[in-house]
Amino acid sequence: MTDLSLAASGAGPMIAGAPSPHRRQLRRIALRLAVYGLPVLLILVPLATFLVYSFWTTVDGQVVQTFTLANYIDFLAKPVYRGVFIGTLWLASIVAATSLIFGYIIAYLVWRLEGRLRYLLLLLSVIPLAMNYIVKIYAMRNILGYNGFLNWLLVHTGILDTPSKLFIFNQTAVMITMAVIYLPYAILPIFLSLERISPSLLAASADLGGRPGQTFRNVVLPLSLPGSIVGALFVMVLALGDYLTPQMVGGNQGFTFGRAIWSQFGMAFNWPFGAALAVVLLLSVVLIILVAAAISRHARVK
Amino acid sequence: MHRRDFVTGAAAGLAGLLLAGTLAPATAAPKELRILTWEGYADEPWVKAFEAKTGAKVKITYTGSVDEIFAKMTASKGQDFDVIAIETSSYKRLTQEKLIQPVDLSKIPNAKNLLPAFRDVSAIVFDGKPFAVPFAWGSIPLIYDKKVFAQAPASWSVLWDEKYKGRIIAMDDANNAIVTTALLLGYKDPFNLTDAQFAEIKAKLLDQKRFVSTYYAGFDDGVSIFAQGGVDLMMSMGEPQAPMLQKKGVDVGLTIPKEGAIGWIDCWAISAGARDPELAHAWIDAMLDKKVGTYISEKTGYGNTTNADANAAIGLTYADKLVFLQAPENFARRIDLWNEIKATPVE
Repeated sequence: MTDLSLAASGAGPMIAGAPSPHRRQLRRIALRLAVYGLPVLLILVPLATFLVYSFWTTVDGQVVQTFTLANYIDFLAKPVYRGVFIGTLWLASIVAATSLIFGYIIAYLVWRLEGRLRYLLLLLSVIPLAMNYIVKIYAMRNILGYNGFLNWLLVHTGILDTPSKLFIFNQTAVMITMAVIYLPYAILPIFLSLERISPSLLAASADLGGRPGQTFRNVVLPLSLPGSIVGALFVMVLALGDYLTPQMVGGNQGFTFGRAIWSQFGMAFNWPFGAALAVVLLLSVVLIILVAAAISRHARVK
Repeated sequence: MHRRDFVTGAAAGLAGLLLAGTLAPATAAPKELRILTWEGYADEPWVKAFEAKTGAKVKITYTGSVDEIFAKMTASKGQDFDVIAIETSSYKRLTQEKLIQPVDLSKIPNAKNLLPAFRDVSAIVFDGKPFAVPFAWGSIPLIYDKKVFAQAPASWSVLWDEKYKGRIIAMDDANNAIVTTALLLGYKDPFNLTDAQFAEIKAKLLDQKRFVSTYYAGFDDGVSIFAQGGVDLMMSMGEPQAPMLQKKGVDVGLTIPKEGAIGWIDCWAISAGARDPELAHAWIDAMLDKKVGTYISEKTGYGNTTNADANAAIGLTYADKLVFLQAPENFARRIDLWNEIKATPVE
């Protein structure tokens, strides 16, 4: 094999198909362009468009391309948009906190299991991720609705005489639905941060006479909390941009910032203001991600 | 407002913007008609017939939103399309931006087929010249459960009735909510409201919010909530919702209350950049053939503007009771008001 190739390279002409250095360089540049250029084109250009639009303004339904901060001043000046923004941040925080608590409990219980059962249950708990999001909202509406499964159960078992409207079209419904939709997103990172804890640490804690409760408090919780918080912040980002769930199950209280952004497009033609609102939302998402990054960096140093 | 679901204007608009930027100026055979329209307005039977009759080739681009139509039209000052179909309230902006040209009715013999209610729609006349021809129409009616109402509710005020608290759903649309409330309050010009009228409408809508269970976000969404039960009344997005509900086993009625209701009309217009205005006029003429109108009503459930019998067959006999949409004085203000209503907590 080696003999042959040596002979060939020594005597014969250059093997056809072997690229010249120049061609190879071109190919490398092309590859780089594809690798860096595509994301830039597909992600940054639309975002930059939004950013640029947010400094323009509309007059008589026409976009006027003069630089102005009017949209951002409007956002701060109009109590409606400010209020909805704060309300949406609040809602997303509550969803994140709920996901953290319940996600931690579920992930912990799964993590304590042994062998194959553990991964089977983990799989079961994240299966909803594979379902379409709209289908999930409709499914929740069918459970919580006036003639939904929950009411049917309560009426059937004699707990209620007539179906109740308490479970749908209010804030409670938004919370329940969001928790169901976003819990799997929290379970996975929390489970992984538990999984990273070395069993020898737990064994050491037990050897030193630590009771299970003490081991959990002093070893498991401190080691897994940062990763869990990062998971919860991830859920917060998702919940922040979700305006469909509140719209569809929140009834007359289902107005969120995402829907406020939506309202500026379509017939309203107020793209600059809509773009400014979108930039505000984007900045808050970036901020949350930065916090999450700081937490995970901090945890790693420890 | 109609034919609108969860496709957000943002996404469609941005996509339209990006698309419009990449569209190279078309260089095609001389006889080509480029149409920008909604799904269902350029169906095969009459497109084929038109091609056979004129020898022209028809190229159809479907749109998902008004936003997208504007994005595509402004990108090329109307050079990319010959005819478009769009709803009456958009014409003020279309003519302001000089994206369309007046229609010469003498080149449209079939205009004689137009039903009286569509002969002089003021929203499409500028400087005394018609800029479009009405084609399909519908309304924003009231839909009610027949089990609850032996007779159709006579007035929109039923949506402010304590008796139906939590059993009412309304569409999530600023302009429709405001104009319908203006009709209830008896305002002469619901498209040019005074400050005092704005204030009164705001109070009225806030008052209504206590009774509204939810603001639904699209045709199917409204139907699905109504069919779930616990709903007696719905401010509808349009006629097709009634048969959809009937199909789901809910016995509903549809009515235009005594104050009247919003009407929308999609009209054909000729782009300012039309390559062959003659051919564009020929298309509009073909669209006013009664056969096309009949097909539209039978297939989509929308009203047509030429065949009264086909309208009657699907129950659309009330064109004269409708207030057809015009461009409002200030859309941003209406959006802000509606957002304020939705953001204000009620007990």
